[in-house]
Amino acid sequence: MNLDELKKLKEKAQRQVALREGNKKYRVVFSMGTSGIAAGAREIMTTMLDEIDKRGIENVEVAVTGEIGLVDAEPVIRIEERSGEKVTYAKVNADAARKIVSEHLQKGKVVDGLAVGKVKQKEAERLK
Amino acid sequence: MFDQLSLNILDIGMNSLAAGATVLRITVIENAEHDWLVIRIRDNGHGMDQKTLREILARNASTKAGRKKPIGLGLALLRQTSEMCGGAFHVHSAPGEGTGVTASMRASHVDRPPLGDLNATIFALCAANPTVDIQLNCESNGEKFHFSSQEGKYHEPRRTQEAQREGTAAGRAA
Repeated sequence: MNLDELKKLKEKAQRQVALREGNKKYRVVFSMGTSGIAAGAREIMTTMLDEIDKRGIENVEVAVTGEIGLVDAEPVIRIEERSGEKVTYAKVNADAARKIVSEHLQKGKVVDGLAVGKVKQKEAERLK
Repeated sequence: MFDQLSLNILDIGMNSLAAGATVLRITVIENAEHDWLVIRIRDNGHGMDQKTLREILARNASTKAGRKKPIGLGLALLRQTSEMCGGAFHVHSAPGEGTGVTASMRASHVDRPPLGDLNATIFALCAANPTVDIQLNCESNGEKFHFSSQEGKYHEPRRTQEAQREGTAAGRAA
């Protein structure tokens, strides 16, 4: 690793996390506690961001959170829609990560085989 | 156990962010001549009192008591790696002053994990909180470089200097 690489990384990071700001349709939350990291959450995040970048998807913001308690299901990703709907994906591997990007984030279709829980809009509002 | 030291750094860095740090400084020093690898993670978050710190180190407690499954393995994992590789592990922390973690190890020790993808670690930390100044200082056999995620963008040197002063004050206290 050298300074040039880090500078490029920083630019990329700023471009990608600038996505946090603004009202995007999807918010992707990565669980990055000890168990998530041990299960490979960091690599999953890298894979997904590369895929989002490659496909030029813009309606997405990324966030990282700490331990969420789903220790045995890590790596866990939660996709929150602006409408309030939340979908949680568990035991995500690299292939699944790419599929989530191409199906869910690009086409808006929940990847059924991978999703573990879905909080419906009504419920999400009740929880607020 | 993590197979890369950069994952340990990410894990502990995430705790720093959870502690409300505005500056997170990661230092990695490699010295082949003296056969040392030193990792230091220093934040200006809310810190811990001595009782909490002792508990955490003694029984791998987690401060996240509200959680269904508090884990509290982050520091324990790094300590294990460090002590297994012939090094020392030290944490100093005080309420309001932030926390510093130092782990050293024999660079050539057969069990020492590789540093791994530090870029991905820094990136994940930047993504976790883009307003925090994530700093990386690397020193490898005399070659140095410095990286700061806020460089040129929201640069506030005063804050950095304050953090440095805090760092030395905490160092003396410890």
